[in-house]
Amino acid sequence: MPHVQANGLSFHVQELRGGPSEGTSNGSSDSPAAVARPKVVMLHGLVIDNLSSWYYTIAHPMALEADVHLYDLRGHGRTEQPASGYSVDENVDDLVALLDHWGIDEPVHLFGNSFGGVVSLAMAHRHPERVASLFLIEAHFAVEGWGEHMAGSLALAAFGLDEDAVQDWLAENADRKLSRLAKRSERFLMETSLIDDLQAEKPIDWLAEIACPTFAIYGSESDILDRARELEAKVPGCELEIVPGSSHSLLTEESNLIRERALAWIARTQRG
Amino acid sequence: MPGPSSSPTVGEEITAEAVLAELDAILTEVVGDDLLLDGPLAMDTSFDEDLQLESIEFVALAEKLLITYGERVDFVAWMATMELDDIIALTVGQVVDFVVESLAAVPGGG
Repeated sequence: MPHVQANGLSFHVQELRGGPSEGTSNGSSDSPAAVARPKVVMLHGLVIDNLSSWYYTIAHPMALEADVHLYDLRGHGRTEQPASGYSVDENVDDLVALLDHWGIDEPVHLFGNSFGGVVSLAMAHRHPERVASLFLIEAHFAVEGWGEHMAGSLALAAFGLDEDAVQDWLAENADRKLSRLAKRSERFLMETSLIDDLQAEKPIDWLAEIACPTFAIYGSESDILDRARELEAKVPGCELEIVPGSSHSLLTEESNLIRERALAWIARTQRG
Repeated sequence: MPGPSSSPTVGEEITAEAVLAELDAILTEVVGDDLLLDGPLAMDTSFDEDLQLESIEFVALAEKLLITYGERVDFVAWMATMELDDIIALTVGQVVDFVVESLAAVPGGG
């Protein structure tokens, strides 16, 4: 497991780079060897999520076209889980430290799923010179009452405070991987400041300042569809797509569609 | 018992049995004592259904496999051909066959 030290924590990272490798060319003169590959960083969602949701869906096809960097956000997956420090800003600091570690000083394409979406947006706001574009899937971000909503939806996911729901859920899903995930998630929620930190987030009032090309995609049945409308209304030039019949789990429900959109987005924004 | 496995060398034929044994060792390394398995690892054992591997554990397994067999095994290109459901349904045998075919397809470089 490659781990790198950044911003005081040990992060689990995966770097995927596919496609024709140097030195295997058969001499064709039109191979654009000198053209730099786009750099893509993907940020996953909260608590039950980790970099594997990208690894299983769009990371590999994307890695044929771009250098793809995945990492487990602080507290998640196989990255270290500090007791505190789960604000959006601290997550942005982590991303900056990782880009520095990777030696990436050119603007990167950020892919954010759910909570990874708000980290991507905040990165583009605080460090616009380091972000080439945003590809946001079901991006979550703070609106009035956001903290209560996040805590509520986590509880609904059966990891929270409703003991009966947890027991029912575990009984239905009593296989190894889910019970391990559930235990880890419960520890995350109970023994770190995650919920307090999220509830302390201030509503975002700077969406109009986002300056890079932005694509947002949401499911029509998503519980946070209001965020889609807000992005479309406020982020200059934001392209929005609503996928009929899909929920907040859009990435896994519609992974083929997301794959197509992602590859087209990179081809388009890199060319521009 | 053979000694510790080592990276394949030029001219050496890699058999499915050898890759299966390597995968078995990697699985134990990744998952430890928590590995769910009644009996020996078989070609038709599935990572998700049978082994109940967490997706993050599969990531670790794939990585160790690449470290073992090197760049001749183009895992990125292979994974890129698969849809989410294909990856979830992956069996040990599919991975073993892919490794064996990759190593057989590429000349030793000499």
